[in-house]
Formats: sequence, C-alpha cells, structure tokens
Amino acid sequence: MVLFTGSREVMRVRIVVGMKWVPGTQSVRIDPKTGTLIREGVPSIVNPHDLPAVELALRLKDKYGGEVIALTMSPPPAVKGLEYLVGMGVDKAILVSDRVYAGADTLATSYVLANAIKKIDKDIGKVDLAVFGQETTDSSTAHIAAQTASWLEWPYVYYVRDAWLTEEGKLRVERILENAVEEWELDMPAIINVAMKSLKPRPVSLLNKIRFKANPSTLITWSNNDLKLDTRCTGLKGSPTIVAKTVDVPEVPRKKQVYTPKNGEDAAKWILKALLSDEKASKALIRALKEGGEKA
Amino acid sequence: MSWGTSKVSGQQSCDKLCPEWECRDNSEYRGVWVVGEVDENGIIEPSLQMLTPAKKVASKLNAKITGIVIGHNVKQFARQFIEYGADEAIVVDDPRLEMYAPNVYGETIVSLIKKYKPEMVFVAGTMKGRELAPYIANHLRAGITADCTDFDADEKTRDVFQIRPPFGAVLLAYIRTPNRRPQMATARPNVFPLPPRDPNRSGEIIEEKVDHVPPPKAKLISRKVIPRTETPIEKAELVVGGGKGLGTAEGFKMLQELADVMGAVVGGSRKAVDLGWIPHERQIGQTGKSIKSVIYIAVGISGAAQHMFGVREAEVVVTINKDPSAPIFSQSDYGVVADYREVVPNLIKLLKELKEQVKKGETPRIE
Repeated sequence: MVLFTGSREVMRVRIVVGMKWVPGTQSVRIDPKTGTLIREGVPSIVNPHDLPAVELALRLKDKYGGEVIALTMSPPPAVKGLEYLVGMGVDKAILVSDRVYAGADTLATSYVLANAIKKIDKDIGKVDLAVFGQETTDSSTAHIAAQTASWLEWPYVYYVRDAWLTEEGKLRVERILENAVEEWELDMPAIINVAMKSLKPRPVSLLNKIRFKANPSTLITWSNNDLKLDTRCTGLKGSPTIVAKTVDVPEVPRKKQVYTPKNGEDAAKWILKALLSDEKASKALIRALKEGGEKA
Repeated sequence: MSWGTSKVSGQQSCDKLCPEWECRDNSEYRGVWVVGEVDENGIIEPSLQMLTPAKKVASKLNAKITGIVIGHNVKQFARQFIEYGADEAIVVDDPRLEMYAPNVYGETIVSLIKKYKPEMVFVAGTMKGRELAPYIANHLRAGITADCTDFDADEKTRDVFQIRPPFGAVLLAYIRTPNRRPQMATARPNVFPLPPRDPNRSGEIIEEKVDHVPPPKAKLISRKVIPRTETPIEKAELVVGGGKGLGTAEGFKMLQELADVMGAVVGGSRKAVDLGWIPHERQIGQTGKSIKSVIYIAVGISGAAQHMFGVREAEVVVTINKDPSAPIFSQSDYGVVADYREVVPNLIKLLKELKEQVKKGETPRIE
C-alpha cells in the first residue's frame, strides 16, 4: 500500500477477492457412490454471496485507488465467472487450476488460496486486503475466510458490510451480528468476510467486458507448476475430512392430514379445530391469545 | 456395517502427511468438548444445546464431556455446563481475555486443545462461532464440518460421523475425519434441543491458566446493540411463515396481521428473502434459522428440503397452499388445499372471536 497521510488520492490498495463457481440451481443431483455433486448439465454461476464482496472491493478501489484481483480455485470453466467479475470492474483475474487440487475440503482449498495470495504478493505486488463472500450457496460452510487468515496469520473479521481506511493506514470495518453492529480496526494486510446481501453489486459493463476480450493478460492461469505446493497438502490428500456415505434425509413423523375445504371459512374452522384438539398447540394458542395480540 | 468407498480408519504414517501438519498420535486424543460462547448472562443457549449431540457421541465412545469457558469474570458460568450435563468444565478466567477477538480467543482455545487433546470439539454455529471455529480447526490443521444436523460415532475407529445435508438437502452426507484428531464440528442454534437442567449435578471445574495470550490483531472499537422490538423467530412459540406462493410482498402484510392477532412472529422461506419480502434474520431453513415453535403455519411454501430442515423441531406444522401436489403436505400435520387470500382473513376473524372468548374466561370453541 502506498500511503501519504492527509492525501487520500495516493492511498492505493491492492485487494484480492475470492470467487467460487457454483451450480446455479438448488436441485442438483448427488452421485450416490461418491457423495459428491454431479456437476454435468448443471449451469454454474458466480456464488451470489461473493458479489457483495466484489462490490465492497470495487468501492474501496474507487475511493482510494489501487487494483482488485479476483481469485478462484476451480476447474477451467470458472473463467466464465471471472469474466463476469472483470465485467463488474475487477482489474485482473486469476484462475488456479490443477488436477492435484481436486476433491479438496475447506482446509485444502484455503491452503491453495493462501498460497496463491502469497504468490500475488510476490509476483504482482503487496496485497493489502483479501475479501471473501460470507458463504457459498453450494456448501455454505463460511470456513474459507477464517482458514485463509489462519494460514497467512492475518487479522480477520466476519460479516462486514462497510469498510474504510483511517489516515494511519488501518482498516476500519462495520460488521453486523445477530443483535449488534460493531466497528473493528484491523492492521493490514487483513482478511474480511462480507455479509450476504449487504451491498448491491454493480452491473456488468460492456466496456469492461470488451477490455477483458481485448487484453488477454487480464486473465492469469496458475497450475501447481506455478504454485509448487506439496501435493500431500492439496486435493483429497490434503483434506482431513471425507464423505463416508450419503443417506436419504430421515422423515420427521407428521400427521399428514390434508383437507380440501368448501371455502375460506371452512378451511379456517378446520385448522383451528385441529389446533384446539392438540394439547400442546391449544395451550400455546390460548396462552398467546390471553397475553398478546394487543396490537390487533 | 459397510461404509462404501471410504478409507479404512487408522493412523496415517507421518511421511504421507502434509509437512505443514504436525504429526500426531491419534490414540492420545480422548474426550468430547463443547466450547461455550458467553455473554453477560452466562453461557448462551446455543452452546448448551451442543451438549445434546456431545452426549450422544460421548456415550457411544464411552468418553468424558468437558465444557470450555474462556473470558474475564466468567468463572461463575462454568457450573452451567455441569448442570446441563457436562462431566467437567475447564475455565480460563484472564483479564487478557476481557475482549473477544478471533485470534485471541481462537489461539487460546488452540493451546487448550493441544494440552488436553480432546478427540471431538463441538462449537455452536452462532455468527461468532462460525467466525471462530474454522480458525481454530485450521490452526490445528484439523478437519471441520459446518452446520451438522446429526452426529453418530464408530466405536471401533472412534471416528465421529458428522452428518449434514449437502447442497440441495435431499441427502444427508456422513462426513468423517479418519486420520486426524481432533475432529471439529458446528451446528446451527436450535438444531438440537437444550438438555434438561439438573442444578444438583456435580462435576469438577478446572481452573486453567494459559501462559501466552496473543495480542489482538483486530480490535473492537465500538458496539451498538440493536434493540429487538419483537421476539426473534428462533425463540417464538408461534410462527407464521410465508413463501414465494404468496405472490406479492403485500401477502406478507396479511400474514403479519394474522401473526399480530395470535401473538406470532412472521418468518419465511429463502425465496421470500431473495425476493426482498422479509429480512434474512427471519429466514427459516438450512441456511437461515431453525425454529422450535409449538405451532408453525406455512403459507404459500412448497416445502423444499432446505426449508423443512428449519422446522424439524416445530411441534405442529399447519400448511395453507393451493397446490395439492406441493411436497409440504406430506411433511405437515394439518394441510388445507386452498388459496391463502381466502383462508387467512377467515383465520384472523375466527381468532379474534376466540380471543374474546378467552378474555371472558370461556373455553374457546369453534362452531
């Protein structure tokens, strides 16, 4: 980071933003033998929860200058997702792709991402901030930001919805928890996890897309020949967790009574009679009617 | 029992391990831990709920359950773990732990784990828990599974099966960590019930000192508590939920009116959240909240597995949906096949009548 106190224009920041290329539908099939997702025939999208993270990174760049670099570990089709982020305004996009990275759990994935960030730091320039979406829609673990912070030994916080720099060159963030809004200060380089739906992502601009097509150097592809990681640390071998088997979701026992009513009133009567005939439900309902409902 | 294509469990030879991972003797790791998140009133309920799966796993493995409490002025809370079923509690009460910061709490728990070597560590999947647990696991170069909905254990290998619905939630994945200890997992609040409390239960409370507490890498500058005007959905006794089938955001106004009459809280499906009809903190389902209400009335909800996961602990599920083929009917107690626009206003009207009866001290009756 270049920093001259009091002169905002020269506070340039280099931001890496993580992206995951995920199946675009909730109704995917799972291979019963391997327990892994069947991705064939399922159109993929940029993980929707990554987009507020990209937006926050771009806003920081708009304000302070610098560059935003998108990073993904994925099979090659994820280039389409990187292209989308370039369309939003990301300056460079890095695809880290190698067979030896396949089958990774979150520990092995974050290992590759942390090492890719180190390589960006060395080859492209000092990284000030890495930004991740809150979680992904396909596995929703929310592990990667914390794990990457652990590998890099960088400070981190989760659920950020706003970020800015202080004159001393520290990162300030506002984050939202279940019952509180907090402001935190972090030394940089740092990692933040951006709260889902916190920022409206900007649309893709045609100009940016053309820039991507016209300038092939926008896209960088690294394999393990570039990262040179010990293959005992990546992919299946670097993953302590495995999917042992998959089973059908057990059913919750329910009464399954279904009624086709004559009209709305008939339906409402049937529902309330059923609830009043159930011991626990009727108790709770009567208690609630006694105590509350003053609003109505 | 056959575990399909899974590897045979056992100690991995050290030269096969990633050199970044410390080689461990897994047989030294014994016992089940629950890490407690603490607020000004004590250990929060989601952490105590984790004693439920801890008991299941511990009884299979014939292991001890230990509750972990760290912070400043927290010693008095450690007993809560014992009362809810832990065999013992370890407490670190240290002024350097006054303020939570992920690296400070994370690395302190890491040093406890390295000293005591538990085989399984449970962390409640609250927002802070989801921030902290993967950092702890990664510092230990250990595996972690998020959002588990059930657990089981294999007595022979002492592997814990961390059961979670993968993408799509149509199947449950059994995840195991065959060659690495400790094993770690989180579960969302209310996925497991709070175990019964016994104030007379006894158990040892170990006061542990830690030499090194790292300085915070991130510092809390200010905190503003958001005043809650209504009961959070995960604590409500009565819940009304809406989905895409409502057709419009206006539909939620009708549901709110129904909720107001009966003293319920309104929630909804992920689709309703995506459409901007309700805020995310009132999303019911796998990636939202799990509810444990006595009554849940689902309106215009099709019954996607992700949503139904969040209502597993609801006592009575009522469904209003005009599509008779909606999968939710086979997952409800009482379903009516009808347009909610006709049913809900009648429910409101009848509930108002019931309220009058109740206020007069009569037993409520539907003609």
